[in-house]
Amino acid sequence: MSRAPSVIDRARIEWAVWSLDQRLYELPRRARIERRRELRANLLDATPDIGVSAALRRLGDHRRLAEDYLEAELGPGRRPSWWAAVLVVTAFPLFFLSLSTDVAHAFRAGIVASDPQASGSFTTKGIAGLQSDITYTLEAGQGSYVGGAMTPLCWFLMAVVAIVVGRLWLIPRAAWRRRADLV
Amino acid sequence: MPGHDPQLLKGVLSILLLRLLVDRESYGYELVQQLAAAGLPDVLEGTVYPALARLEREGWVATHLVRSSAGPARKYYRLTADGHAHLMEASEAWRSFVAVVDDVLHAPTPVAPEPGA
Repeated sequence: MSRAPSVIDRARIEWAVWSLDQRLYELPRRARIERRRELRANLLDATPDIGVSAALRRLGDHRRLAEDYLEAELGPGRRPSWWAAVLVVTAFPLFFLSLSTDVAHAFRAGIVASDPQASGSFTTKGIAGLQSDITYTLEAGQGSYVGGAMTPLCWFLMAVVAIVVGRLWLIPRAAWRRRADLV
Repeated sequence: MPGHDPQLLKGVLSILLLRLLVDRESYGYELVQQLAAAGLPDVLEGTVYPALARLEREGWVATHLVRSSAGPARKYYRLTADGHAHLMEASEAWRSFVAVVDDVLHAPTPVAPEPGA
């Protein structure tokens, strides 16, 4: 078998390269670009000989391949994961916003349950310590609220969770190891 | 010819790659082909490429890009002086290991036990 890779072959190769690249976020940018280029060139070389399906199959499981690349580049052992930390920092405020909205609605439901025509300003601590006061302004049972933002303690907790989940405390060790490799 | 134990192959892959690079510099897929031609078709690309990255990290090979008429530039690997020294050392260790294993395997074996014994 020897034919130039078709458009579909190239698309499948690009998909494989992209898929692997998504698992290499922990590598420095330059190393990732190099790995992408090298893998693409090797797959394009292999395709005329054995076909794109066999070329991709012989790469094995992408997750495993990415792990092997990470271990080869960064050394064995546990590594910090920026990807996991970013995920926490993105998901945490969304989760908190949802929780905060539920708290505010529950507070209003409580007021209206005791007096369906309630009017005035009503304040609650919300989730004590983790969010600012929530103040509902009601007019005949209808109204809106302000407050409920994340407090400094809540931001601090989010940072701690991101550090723990992303194993960011390993960064100094990883940097030291990279520097030692360069010497 | 029986298949090769992947764990055993993984253990010696580094020295095989370094040895192939003694003859001439080469790129990833070509090294896989050379291994297959040498009788190791079971060594997959997914094993060789990270192994090359490891050799590069150890400083045993150096790399450079070479334009290819067939497609994107290829990343060529060439042996460094450190890589050569490591190859000599690792080859010696491997030969010594094989000699010991051979001695054990070539010792006279008693009659095979009866099935179910």
